[in-house]
Amino acid sequence: MVWATRKSGTDTRSPALGEHPATVPAGASNAGLDSELGAAEFDALLNAAIDGIMVIDEQGLIVRVNRSAESMLGYSAEQLLGRSLNMIMSDEDAGRHDNYVGQYLRTGRRRIIGIGREVLARRKDGSVFPVSLSVGEVRLKGEIRFVGLMRDLTAEKQAEEEALHHREEMMHVSRLTTMGEMAAAMAHEINQPLSAIATYTAACLRLIARDESNITEVVSALESINAQAHRAGEVIRRIRSFTRSRELSRRPVTITSLIEEIRPLAELDAKASSIRLDFSLDPSLPEIVADVVQIQQVVLNLIRNGVDAIRESPAERRKLLLEATVGTDSQLRIAITDQGPGIDESLRDRLFTPFFTTKSTGMGMGLAISRSIITAHGGTLDFRNNVDGGATFWFTLPIHPEE
Amino acid sequence: MNELSTVFVVDDDQAVRDSLGLLLKSVGINSRLFDSAQALIDAYDPDWRGCVVLDIRMPGMSGMELQQQLIELHCALPVIFITGHGDVPMAVDAMQKGAFDFIQKPFRDQELLDRINQAINLDAAQRSEEEQQRAVGERYETLTPREREVMECVVRGLANKVIAMDLELSQRTVEIHRARVMEKMHARSLAELVRMSLMIEGTAGSRA
Ligand SMILES: Nc1ncnc2c1ncn2[C@@H]1O[C@H](COP(=O)(O)OP(=O)(O)OP(=O)(O)O)[C@@H](O)[C@H]1O
Ligand SMILES: [Mg+2]
Repeated sequence: MVWATRKSGTDTRSPALGEHPATVPAGASNAGLDSELGAAEFDALLNAAIDGIMVIDEQGLIVRVNRSAESMLGYSAEQLLGRSLNMIMSDEDAGRHDNYVGQYLRTGRRRIIGIGREVLARRKDGSVFPVSLSVGEVRLKGEIRFVGLMRDLTAEKQAEEEALHHREEMMHVSRLTTMGEMAAAMAHEINQPLSAIATYTAACLRLIARDESNITEVVSALESINAQAHRAGEVIRRIRSFTRSRELSRRPVTITSLIEEIRPLAELDAKASSIRLDFSLDPSLPEIVADVVQIQQVVLNLIRNGVDAIRESPAERRKLLLEATVGTDSQLRIAITDQGPGIDESLRDRLFTPFFTTKSTGMGMGLAISRSIITAHGGTLDFRNNVDGGATFWFTLPIHPEE
Repeated sequence: MNELSTVFVVDDDQAVRDSLGLLLKSVGINSRLFDSAQALIDAYDPDWRGCVVLDIRMPGMSGMELQQQLIELHCALPVIFITGHGDVPMAVDAMQKGAFDFIQKPFRDQELLDRINQAINLDAAQRSEEEQQRAVGERYETLTPREREVMECVVRGLANKVIAMDLELSQRTVEIHRARVMEKMHARSLAELVRMSLMIEGTAGSRA
């Protein structure tokens, strides 16, 4: 777990009354506590709070708890009062906590006081759950108290995990459908060299059967056959490298080589709809650190959307352009421009939400997944409508990604 | 096989195109190869005879669009589509628009050559009919208005006597006109003259 110390100069100073925002100066906010009504009001306030609240003394012993803390931890107030805070912390955090409080008292260096961090708490039944713990300090008549606020993060964590899991699942599904659609185009691409080979051999047989056959003609046909066999093999090699189990890690790569790998696939896809696909890749583009397969998927998604957008256009507008450049902000910028109908401004926000689609066979996941991939890489993905019609979908990737 | 016939091959794939050219050459058929639909349109000449062999999938102008353009150019060359796996619906569409045939890749060379020969023969037959029609039309142009009137009556099967009365001519004059018509139209029998008159009507009808 990562947490930060503030950069303000108060870090190393000795704690002093009223110096920190988290410190409650004695007598300031609880002026009415002496009166009976004030005490009742204070208890009601504590017990109404959704967060668990407990007050701890200098030794780390619990001196007051509210109802939420009781139900969160499964202990009654009686079982908690006078006990060490360590009882309700996971073993790992308990050790640290002692350190933090002790260290703070000795040096004033904040580890937890006034900061708030995520720790694991332990229930009476021994089960451990995540809480966000923030601790404030109270000084009253020379005594020091710490007020801890605990928020149960179980539900939040669960939702987060589910979202992550869901996203991974969707990415898998979408990759498979992309592959499925690609398979048809791929069959076409292997068919080309095969039918050329079949035709060349048939022609050779006929040429040889005719007595006046010309040997140089036959030799040159054989050379072509050889080249076509290699071409078919190359297509298969490409497919295999694309479907190879997914690389999880990011690695340094040039965008040019990343795009070159999927270029045959993309071209097939475009060609199947009689679309011309042009690439403009600046050869001097620097390396980026990226998950290659994920970025390739983004590029394929955007190309596929472009193909869909211009499928019905007249021949002279059935063109797609993929450009990769370095922006003035020293970000790598990849843009895919189509000459389709563009995007209605009223749809701008909905486009990137999962399952939004205007296509009868679309899943509406392409842009949602693509944006999440690019965001995870520290970049931005968006689009603009062009004046001469059509849309440009673009994304950026940092050239020197942060550690 | 008609010596003037050529197979016009359009395929963006260099190897497929080149191998087709070699196959045609191996059986003595002339070919001209184009790497795009547009290249064929740019070179198109109405005097071309033979047939077109066309890949249905191509970048830029697709095979289907080329077919449409050829129709607009009143090109009567039979078109054979070469299709890949899964292009059948497209091919059916092309057939409905008057394509001669389609053949799936990879194909047997003999199969393709047979279709090509059939297409070339069809084109030749269409051509000779067209030419005959043109010749008959030209001969018809040489008839005088009176001879045309007589011809019209003759092909309706009227006897010379009836024609004479209808046109207020002597029977002898009708006989002379009738002989002139047969001679000028190169008709050896009444039946032939009737066929020619139908041809003329056909062209007159399509011109209207
Ligand atoms: N280049 C484009 N031009 C016009 N509209 C586009 C373009 N790209 C995307 N859209 C619109 O955005 C919608 C959402 O795109 P998205 O890629 O998320 O899903 P999809 O393409 O419909 O389905 P899939 O999950 O198969 O990708 C599309 O249905 C389409 O209406
Ligand atoms: Mg999409």
